[in-house]
Amino acid sequence: MRQARIGVDIGGTFTDLVLLDSEGRAFFAKVASTPDHPEQAVLTGVAQILETAGLGVGQVVEVLHGTTVGSNTLLQKAGARTGLITTRGFRDVLEIGRVRTPTMFDLSWTKPEPLVARRYRREVDERTTAGGEILKTVDIDQVLEIGRDFVREGIESVAICFLNSYSNGENEAEAARALSEAFPELWVTASVAVLPEIREYERTSTTAVNAYVLPALRSYIERLETGLRDIGVAAPLLVSNSNGGLSAAAIAQEKPVFFISSGRAAGVVGAGRLGTAIDERNLIVFDMGGTTASASLIHDGKLTRTNEYEFRAGISTPSRFIKAGGYLMRVPTIDVAEVGSGAGSIAWLDPGKLLNVGPVSAGAKPGPACYGAGGTSPTVTDANVVLGFLPAELAGGTLTLDVAKARDAVERDVAGPLGLTVEAAATGIREIVNVNMARAIRAVTVERGVDPRDFTLLAFGGSGPVHACDLARSLGIGRVLFPRAPGVFTAMGMLAGSVEHYFLRAFPTLLRKVEAPEIGKVVADLRTDAVAALAREGYPEDRIAFEFELDLRFRGQDSELAVPLGADGFDAGALREAFLESYRGIYGYASRDDVEIVNVRLRARGISAQNLDFAHIEAGQLAPGEAVVGRRPIYFSRDTGWVDTPVIERAALSGEVEGPVVLQSADTTIIVPPGARAGLDPVGNVVVTL
Amino acid sequence: MVERRIDPITFAVIKSGLDTIVDDMAYAVMRTARSPIVRDVLDYSVTMCDRQGRILSQAKTVALHLGAVPDAMEVVIKRFAGNLHPGDVVVLNDPYDGGMHLPDIFMFKPIFHGGELQGFSVVVAHHCDVGGRVPGSNASDSTEIFQEGIRIAPMKLYDRGAPNETLFTIIEKNVRLPELVIGDIEAQYATCNIGEREFVKLVERYGAEELNRYFDELIDYGEALTRAAIAAWPDGDYDFTDYIDGDGFSPEPIPIKCRVSVRGNHLYVDFEGSSPQVRGAINSTLSFTKSSTYLTVRCALDSEVPNNAGVYRCITVTAPEGSILNPLMPAPVAARALTGYRVVDTVMGALAQIAPRKVMAAGEGGNTVVVLGGYHKGSREPFVLVDMINGAWGGRFNQDGIEGVTNPSQNMSNLPIETLEARYPVLMEEYALREDSCGPGEYRGGLGLVRQYRLLADEAVLQVRSDRYVNPPYGLFGGGPAALSRNVLMTADGVAEELDSKITRNIRAGTVIRHEQAGGGGYGDPRLRPISRIRADLDEGKISRAYAERHYGVVFAGEMIDEAATEARRAAAGGA
Repeated sequence: MRQARIGVDIGGTFTDLVLLDSEGRAFFAKVASTPDHPEQAVLTGVAQILETAGLGVGQVVEVLHGTTVGSNTLLQKAGARTGLITTRGFRDVLEIGRVRTPTMFDLSWTKPEPLVARRYRREVDERTTAGGEILKTVDIDQVLEIGRDFVREGIESVAICFLNSYSNGENEAEAARALSEAFPELWVTASVAVLPEIREYERTSTTAVNAYVLPALRSYIERLETGLRDIGVAAPLLVSNSNGGLSAAAIAQEKPVFFISSGRAAGVVGAGRLGTAIDERNLIVFDMGGTTASASLIHDGKLTRTNEYEFRAGISTPSRFIKAGGYLMRVPTIDVAEVGSGAGSIAWLDPGKLLNVGPVSAGAKPGPACYGAGGTSPTVTDANVVLGFLPAELAGGTLTLDVAKARDAVERDVAGPLGLTVEAAATGIREIVNVNMARAIRAVTVERGVDPRDFTLLAFGGSGPVHACDLARSLGIGRVLFPRAPGVFTAMGMLAGSVEHYFLRAFPTLLRKVEAPEIGKVVADLRTDAVAALAREGYPEDRIAFEFELDLRFRGQDSELAVPLGADGFDAGALREAFLESYRGIYGYASRDDVEIVNVRLRARGISAQNLDFAHIEAGQLAPGEAVVGRRPIYFSRDTGWVDTPVIERAALSGEVEGPVVLQSADTTIIVPPGARAGLDPVGNVVVTL
Repeated sequence: MVERRIDPITFAVIKSGLDTIVDDMAYAVMRTARSPIVRDVLDYSVTMCDRQGRILSQAKTVALHLGAVPDAMEVVIKRFAGNLHPGDVVVLNDPYDGGMHLPDIFMFKPIFHGGELQGFSVVVAHHCDVGGRVPGSNASDSTEIFQEGIRIAPMKLYDRGAPNETLFTIIEKNVRLPELVIGDIEAQYATCNIGEREFVKLVERYGAEELNRYFDELIDYGEALTRAAIAAWPDGDYDFTDYIDGDGFSPEPIPIKCRVSVRGNHLYVDFEGSSPQVRGAINSTLSFTKSSTYLTVRCALDSEVPNNAGVYRCITVTAPEGSILNPLMPAPVAARALTGYRVVDTVMGALAQIAPRKVMAAGEGGNTVVVLGGYHKGSREPFVLVDMINGAWGGRFNQDGIEGVTNPSQNMSNLPIETLEARYPVLMEEYALREDSCGPGEYRGGLGLVRQYRLLADEAVLQVRSDRYVNPPYGLFGGGPAALSRNVLMTADGVAEELDSKITRNIRAGTVIRHEQAGGGGYGDPRLRPISRIRADLDEGKISRAYAERHYGVVFAGEMIDEAATEARRAAAGGA
């Protein structure tokens, strides 16, 4: 019998679905999102895509999901009433934070409100030392007293974070147990259950975020599971985590802090699989949306991951050494640099007449001037309309763009005041937004000492293909790749993902002092844990891939580089060399000093028989188009001026075409500039050579 | 209104490119440094200069360092005129030869392309120890520079790529924690290399001549925006005086006096009338006085103004020779940061008369430095804990101050308690906001912090540099001053003692040291503070009932605020 896996990605405007059947055919659906009850759009979409694919609910074996419920809850500050219990003397750690400011010389800056108000941050008598010795056991009476007070005050969710609990979590666990038993109505998150790592602010903040988003994510997943069951889908629900792996829905309900960037990470994982399928080991993954653009790096076939990030108004700056003004989470995350520049970003002049684009976005409402929906400020989309990069109709004819309104906005706010032509001004807007977006790419390349010119740019998201080639040229990148269906690429990424678990064991010692059997024991322990965890999700040991790594640094440093621990066992000399090489590559210099081990890490991945294979996608539905749809003039640059440009239906592309040319499809517009060539690779991606 | 003769797009691209380079560099220091003061507290700064040594762009790092770079750069360019080569690296720390105080080691790497000098990577880092009589090399009670540690005149640490082993060895043998100090110097070096690599890419892309034309333009742009802001301020002289409690030897308050003069589009800041140089180590080099002044004026400008050499052109800073703000050899300077903070407060007080919406009432008065140095139990392994306590902002136009925040003259972080306890023989007993420490106002100041340490090692040298012990952070426009700071010591047998603001002494195991920091001053008449905001402060435990009664004229009826009675009492007192 035919079976199906369904990937679902919820965006601000659309909910995207991709269905992959056991015969390797892919089907797509896009339905309007229902922000107040996101599960409704999912249920509508599932019903619709099953009908398109000619399948019944009983044939669905897995539903894979990326959700923005976590990030939206944080963004809108709509989380639970949350309390925090800490060691006596330290309830303000959460509010004090790391005391930095994100800007300088700006006395109008204000710190964001902590997720837990001071009156709900309570202290108890207890103390553990850095070495793990318990100086004072926890006073349970005090914990229960606080619990009673919390219930009276309407607190729904409680974070517990005791000093040095990373070293010995007994007191903390004891408090959590007592609180949960006495007050079953409270959700309780103990810090070491989420993050057993040193540094109290980072751990407290991560725990507080978990407690804060927990009830919302928990009940959303419950509603979704119930809804799926009600329409007859009995298949398990897996949720994409911030690190791009899939986890059982129950884990997302307990540890939602690992799922804040759920959807975004899945796109990068998809890109990784696509890269493997076509043997592209070095990719810059570029996703451009309405308000933000993001970039991530796949280097030598490996995705880039980070262990810490800050959530601030949905935009993370590429300057990652600032800890200020955001909600910090120390969780494994696909390292995505995001900038506040997207298709809706507004262009404006500062008092010195310097042209700026973003970070304010016109969003979906009022939208760009050309939407004619009330927006009057010139946006990147308006610049693209003025210059002919975008057609007069979008989204398969559902949206008409008003060129005159776009020109007026650019003229009034930019061209007039700068004394430029409208075309020059619109070109300027495009160039500035490209520079800003390049900042995201630089953050994941140059900042690591990686030359972007050694990479292929993979572009998706509704607007990515409109800018990708210019962006690539500005960075000296020679190849740009556009996947099939760039608009639903993130949902496809989920189908390419696998069930993943992460394990970490602190192992602080000098590298040269370690004996192989000591490491061997840690490795064996972690492996046992992983086998047990994946067995619960139906993966026997022979279907698990293990990746061990050591976090290494020079003695006394605070930041580590992860170096793979190979299958051939522990070799201190080889590990030191690998570390030095990696270090030199980044910093152009390596110390003669001792190298120390900090942690042993394990990523254990379940190997699914039915993952989406980018090498063999058969589209279940594709409308064959005409070869040449028409022509329109495009103002590529000040050098080219207006160029009469052919427009081709993407699905009809075969062989190689010379730029300038526009490749058009319902979900996006690929701009191939003059001097570039476009063709198809064996699996159906459009490849542009610059 | 600024007219430009160049391509506005390329201009923006180059400006953003420079900002990215210093961002990359700042991140690299954090990732590669060894000592907690650099890698956790982030006491370092990063900037990129052009071939003339002019600052082009600054990372979001310690502002107090950055404004002192031009004077240091000038010394380097003069000293090594015609003698800089690819692969050279120059270091210095001597306050009387380009530096600020000995712990701050400046590093400059000249950048070459096509055989020509193109610019400089600059990294300044505060080292955890540079020798001298007190661990941490930061004591306020030294009386001459020779007690403060190793002095490094501008010298090449690398000569055409080859390390100067002599200099490395001299540094290594004269500091308490050579692995950390050399490790941090290596972090500075790695960062200079990253700056060089990225800057060369800019030169390759645009060509040296074209690029320098844009640099000129960028600096002119900084100057033009600054001049436009100053021109909008009313011409006149604006005076302000603030005080440091004492130098640790004499309790006599030390005046810092400034006159800010607006003359058209230029600003003159003169410190005539400030104290002569003092016996203790809080004398500030002129370069540091200038830096403190520049950054304060910069705060009163709009945020678009780029942070480059153009801003400095519009500000002339003078301080009498032999004064605390321009001392002569061999005056000690190790704890000079304190004087810099007070310069910031003083200039801010003068600017409040010019740009009342841009400034804030006085903050905590600068971070408090607590140093504990000694040996781990039962070993010869030394430790030096350099801890910096930040801080609070004063009230501002339409906004309260901030609590738990770096002084705006820096951009520092704090040392995590768990990192501290894992590395040092210290048990931390409290790290909290200090109730009632804020200055009252329509917009109140931020709360100061409390930090309490218990020594676990057998003995240690304790050194504390604090202030605002006698002279509280001032309020503005009717806002009240903040609470004074306090240091308390409790011996293991329970004897408590109030300490001075600046001390060095030996302590034994079990001794507890508690610092209670001043808060920020208030802004505007406290009687105008809305009752809803007073209630929120009470609910959050940030102020007490007694505080609300005393400063805000609140009348309570049982547990609740009696709003009518409160309004009546406030009206009778002459408020709104």
